[in-house]
Amino acid sequence: MNAGLRCRVVLAVGSTLLAAVPLALEAGAATSPPANTADAAIATCQSCHGANGEGMAAAHVPRIAGQSAEYLKKQLDNYADGTRSNPIMVNFAKPLSDKVRKDLAARFAAMSAPFVAQLGSVNAVARARGHQLAYQGDEIERVQACNNCHGPDGVGVPHSAPYLAGQSAEYLASVIKAWHDGTRKNDAGQLMRSVAERLNDADIAAVAAYFASVELAVQ
Amino acid sequence: MAQRLKEVDVVVIGVGMVGSIVAKELAAAGYKVVGLERGQTRATVPEFQSPAIHDELRFDIRKALMQDNTREPVTFRNQTSQVALPVRRWESFLPGTGLGGSMVHWNGQTYRFQANDFKLATRTRERYGKDFLDPDLTIQDWGVTYDELEPHYDRFEYLLGTSGKAGNIKGKIQPGGDPHESPRSREYPTPPQKEHFSGAMFRKAASSLGYHPFPQPSSNLSQPYTNPEGIKLNTCVFCGFCERYACEHFAKSVPQTVILPVLLANPNFQLRTGCQVQRINLDSTKKQATGVNYIDAVGREFEQPASLVITSTFAINNVRMLLLSAIGVPYNPATGQGVVGRNYAYQTMSTVASFFDDDVIVNPFMASGASGTVINDFAGDNFDHTGLGFIGGAFIGAVNTNGRPIQYHPVPPDTPAWGKGWKQAVVKHYNHTVMFSLHGSSVAQKQNYCDLDPTYRDAWGQPVLRITFDFPQNDIKMAAHVTAKGVEIGKAMGAKQVVGTPRKGPYTVTQYQTTHNTGGTVMGDNPKTSVVNRYLQSWDVPNVFVIGASNYPQNASWNPTGTLGALTYWAIDALKNKYLKDPGRLVSM
Repeated sequence: MNAGLRCRVVLAVGSTLLAAVPLALEAGAATSPPANTADAAIATCQSCHGANGEGMAAAHVPRIAGQSAEYLKKQLDNYADGTRSNPIMVNFAKPLSDKVRKDLAARFAAMSAPFVAQLGSVNAVARARGHQLAYQGDEIERVQACNNCHGPDGVGVPHSAPYLAGQSAEYLASVIKAWHDGTRKNDAGQLMRSVAERLNDADIAAVAAYFASVELAVQ
Repeated sequence: MAQRLKEVDVVVIGVGMVGSIVAKELAAAGYKVVGLERGQTRATVPEFQSPAIHDELRFDIRKALMQDNTREPVTFRNQTSQVALPVRRWESFLPGTGLGGSMVHWNGQTYRFQANDFKLATRTRERYGKDFLDPDLTIQDWGVTYDELEPHYDRFEYLLGTSGKAGNIKGKIQPGGDPHESPRSREYPTPPQKEHFSGAMFRKAASSLGYHPFPQPSSNLSQPYTNPEGIKLNTCVFCGFCERYACEHFAKSVPQTVILPVLLANPNFQLRTGCQVQRINLDSTKKQATGVNYIDAVGREFEQPASLVITSTFAINNVRMLLLSAIGVPYNPATGQGVVGRNYAYQTMSTVASFFDDDVIVNPFMASGASGTVINDFAGDNFDHTGLGFIGGAFIGAVNTNGRPIQYHPVPPDTPAWGKGWKQAVVKHYNHTVMFSLHGSSVAQKQNYCDLDPTYRDAWGQPVLRITFDFPQNDIKMAAHVTAKGVEIGKAMGAKQVVGTPRKGPYTVTQYQTTHNTGGTVMGDNPKTSVVNRYLQSWDVPNVFVIGASNYPQNASWNPTGTLGALTYWAIDALKNKYLKDPGRLVSM
């Protein structure tokens, strides 16, 4: 299956049957020979993450345009070495050489993509709560502000703290939940685990929706 | 006229590290405790959060977390022949204020003193003879031993979750730790923090010279930790904003992150902030405290009666509280008589700067306040002082606490103090310099003391504290000796230029050194030379306990907080198991 076909598969099912997306992609990836250059590999990435790295919010596929190269490289490495798990990404990353992973990370780090407004509405209370967690944290829950590490307005602090602003709410919520549940654990010093384990589902949804709504001029 | 309030069991003056721990223990034991804090309440969220907390101008230069010296200054002079003047800008030392006290802005360096330190006078005479010391020195034993304090050190370190590597567990030397340390009962609660690059260079060089480098014990944690109070702390992110700042990550062990949530949840405890205690009140016999008088934030004066008063303010303020309350005889340097204010000591800080070329990249900004690599080979009495003419020593180490842009700019001594030449040198050396801290002991001597200033008063009309201090010759000799050793290590690292700056007199209050003020209400076993007994109970007024670094008869080669935590739990043990069961003198006169 070539990259173009996979792209069409995603588009075809994207609006009707999200659960089918990973299965379709996983099946495709398993039969692909490993790409030995970034040029050969990038179309596969773009089939889900978008031509400009804009991501695919509804399918929990994160925006990676302009994300720090060091962060992206680390994630690819961690998919490849099994430290981070995701059936689709593991299959893509594992066959790639270290150099291809590095080059791909640099390519997406150099991209920019327009902000995409999130579908649906967030109620005012949830938005205020998300804003509070982002800027201030919560003393009772003993959670510090997201922006302490992720930068003002969640713009990210390279190398290691990714931007959150403008990121897909679905992706953010699923990944915070993964930190919360301990299924994602490739953070230094359990920094994300320590925070996420103290957030309940409502807080996770609120903070994810908040960051998804933050529009940045350049990304 | 003061309004008289309902009597409580215990009044705690100052709700910092000591006050929080004491209040927590006594409230949990069922006593009604009131905590009087002169500053404001504050918490990790929202007060300590970024980006506001990383404001170097506000916190480093303008000292936002410190005692308000427009309202409550101290005065200072080097010699009794001089007129003391108010310290209008904190520089040499930085007493904090507000809930959580000075610990909120500490660096987290959590050492123990060695067994020898608690018997310094005895051991010095035994090892070097009775005539070894300068007769002006007034060093003395503590009246408590390391073995007695060990369980309390342990408890304090486990409260904090201190990250370190043991060097001696029950007499067995542990690889990677400090072989000079006195035996500890078990390993640190969490492993050491990661070593920064300058620490790694120091380790290699110090090892090559036969010394014993080890990771500094840090209360900026290396991993998540849940303490025995059930409170969870996070991992430090090495942001380099510890000392003079508060931690936004719940990663530095301070009252807010280790004990206040438990204390504040206890209905037996009441916190009152913005309350300036004027004095501890005594009955007509002057042998019994009846409570305290304080003025609240809107200027109302209250009398808070209590059966037991614990003063747990910053060291120098403990001294002042006793002087204002006329508890104990004030020290007179002319006669050597009296005890309150006697044996004020400090810390003798020297530095070594090792300058490298561009190929050595230090990244000083990636730091915690206590992630250094150090040696104790020249600390305390870990080396033979015969013929040296001094006692004491210093730990030496690459203690890279920060690379903050306004305050951190190491340059060689021939650099212009300002202008283009200075700017060029800052750019050239910022990322290619390794700084050593040489953290030296401080002996007590007759001329160094604290009393009430005859002229200056605080915003409430009370005399302020006057500090009379200069470096004893003993400590200047010690600084020269250890700095030479530090320079050798810098050279062994292969630095292009190594500059040692041993501490010299006269002592100045206009240059930052360290906030390790000690003495003035010292502990001991003789009422003629100490203010409190071995349980930190006032000799003169048995229902007053004084707890602080003011209890140290002299200061050792290490940061004082670990020992203060141990003394706090030691005193609590005596309070709960002895005093409160049968109030009275715990040690007969």
